[in-house]
Amino acid sequence: MKLVSAAIIALVREDDFTETFVDAAGLRVQLRRGGSGAPLLILHSELGVPGWLRAYAELARDFTVWVPSLPGFGGSARPDWILSVRDLAAWVTWFVRDVGLQEPLPVIGSSMGGWIAAEIATMNDRIFSKLVLVGAAGLQPDEGHAWDYFLHSSREAFEQAFSDPQKATEYSRFFVDGWTRENEIQAEQNREMAARLLWKPYLRSHTLPGLLAGVATPTLVVWGREDAIIPPSVCDRYVQLIPGATKSVLERCGHLPEMERPEEFVRTVRDFLTSRG
Amino acid sequence: MVKHVYFFTEMGYTAYPQDEARRRGYNNLMFPNQHFSPERARELYAMYFDELLYCTETGFDGVMINEHHNNPLSMMPSVNVIGAVLARTTRKGRIVFLGNVLPIHDNPLRVAEEVAMIDILSGGRVICGFVRGLGQESIATNVNPVDNRERFDEAHNVIIKAWTTPGPFRWEGRYFEYRVVNPWMRPLQQPHPAIWIPGVVSPESVRWAAEHQYPYVALAPPLHVVDEIYDLYDDVAAKCGFTPTADHRGYVIRVSVADTDEEAYEQGRQFYWQLGTSFGITPLHWLQPPGYMSREAKGSRREAARRGSVTITPGGPLLSYEGMHETYQVISGNPETIIRKLQHIIDVCDPAHLVFWGREGLMSHEAAVHSIDLMTREVIPAIKAYQADREKGRHERLVPAG
Repeated sequence: MKLVSAAIIALVREDDFTETFVDAAGLRVQLRRGGSGAPLLILHSELGVPGWLRAYAELARDFTVWVPSLPGFGGSARPDWILSVRDLAAWVTWFVRDVGLQEPLPVIGSSMGGWIAAEIATMNDRIFSKLVLVGAAGLQPDEGHAWDYFLHSSREAFEQAFSDPQKATEYSRFFVDGWTRENEIQAEQNREMAARLLWKPYLRSHTLPGLLAGVATPTLVVWGREDAIIPPSVCDRYVQLIPGATKSVLERCGHLPEMERPEEFVRTVRDFLTSRG
Repeated sequence: MVKHVYFFTEMGYTAYPQDEARRRGYNNLMFPNQHFSPERARELYAMYFDELLYCTETGFDGVMINEHHNNPLSMMPSVNVIGAVLARTTRKGRIVFLGNVLPIHDNPLRVAEEVAMIDILSGGRVICGFVRGLGQESIATNVNPVDNRERFDEAHNVIIKAWTTPGPFRWEGRYFEYRVVNPWMRPLQQPHPAIWIPGVVSPESVRWAAEHQYPYVALAPPLHVVDEIYDLYDDVAAKCGFTPTADHRGYVIRVSVADTDEEAYEQGRQFYWQLGTSFGITPLHWLQPPGYMSREAKGSRREAARRGSVTITPGGPLLSYEGMHETYQVISGNPETIIRKLQHIIDVCDPAHLVFWGREGLMSHEAAVHSIDLMTREVIPAIKAYQADREKGRHERLVPAG
């Protein structure tokens, strides 16, 4: 039974994607969507969605790319009852159902979004056909710690998320040239939702390591070699814990490969998504 | 009319290297505790406790204490430990807790027990303030700042219920859960010590205090926002069906008093002993961790005033020592000058409870004692005899300060 039927409320067309608000899974959701073909779901990181990334546009040549702002992030409503990543995981499954996405479909989850995708895969192998976990949160590093967003400012976080922010065109496009007062307010709001979900235990689950043994979905783990937010050792843990998972580590790349190395990222992901497996 | 005057010091740990703090650009939360010397702290404690005792013996109606963590600003990381010591080292005067930082406790019944113990130990001299804490306290104790206000509310409710409802009873709230609430230790003052709510900028806290009919104590704010705070308090009180009196208004003011105006002015610079500020330097994202401050509070005129022109809390933009005099965030002078300035404050907000934040920084023990003498012999008697002229205050408050 659908909670609320998906209904398009507003429509803004810009280049090769549309930005809309839909009523889905009980909430008003900000949705960016572009391309054609089979659906591909993107679950964003704790930093939210800065816009229609080059990587999304590239992937949209082969897929209909769906990028919802998760509850509490971007323009999406924040319900009082979503307090954990697992709550968010439940909501994502309703969203997929309510907007009528054909299941199973592939998903790319970045950082917190990767954690959400992994949580869903531990419970149900009929929603996602393939998992791409990118710099995924959710596991304790073998050594060291995840970088602490909450001891730093949003601005410091954006810089920390790139191995070389000055050379990353997506960094300057979204976080320097295109940066506005509205973006700043939005970043603070995203940070508030991130604190709600991730404050303690910080960016990790004590139960996920055990649960990942049950994942039966083909999984690719993508990491930036210079990820300074979630140490690359977490990449190896994901690969060890998810049966059959493979990894791809991108060089000269930080926590957001889809923004820092869009070409390599898209090539790697497209190969995985279009392969038989 | 002013009924009671209390003394306050942050009990600063003044022995840390300011150069190192300047180099790092901050002096709390993450400022390395290798710069803390227990031996120096022992000496400083001895001095501060002697002064507080002296205050209660010579004419203050009591002393105010508070709590900060990871911070040389204050040597009181547990307000209840400080209060317990005062309960047995002082013989008279109120011990004003401003206050217990409720949201940071996972077991607020511990606060109920400790305050009850101290009330008994002190012979019923406790005034019990509750605070949300600076943003840094949430980080230092790692309690999600997003939940700060709700945790404050629920901790308060369970403590008050523990003091007013016979136990045992059960508590199942959102943040706290008890199979058995039955603290054996109950306060001497029945049903419980007076509750005060101190605050700086947040309109929600003012509203909350008024809704509970608790006195609101303005913590050394610029004088021109105080009237706004108490106007809001009065509005909410009217909606709740009660008329606030001076008893609902408290005011903490930095006071530097010496034999001459010039001497007092120089001595008052000690309030800015921490990198030229009163509270030290803090990045905004420590001061306001995510969700700590509501969007309403961020958008309030008080907050705009704070960001724009005044330093009330750590990390705010710096206002010069001179500027702080203009906004009445510090007053200095010989006793006569101080009395005149305090009369102006009393005209504006007519508090029953005044707190003199009376010593800070590297001020010597001798200077502090002399200053205390001037306060108790000359200032306090004059202030207590003064009838507020609210009309004059209302007229004068229309003139924007600073």
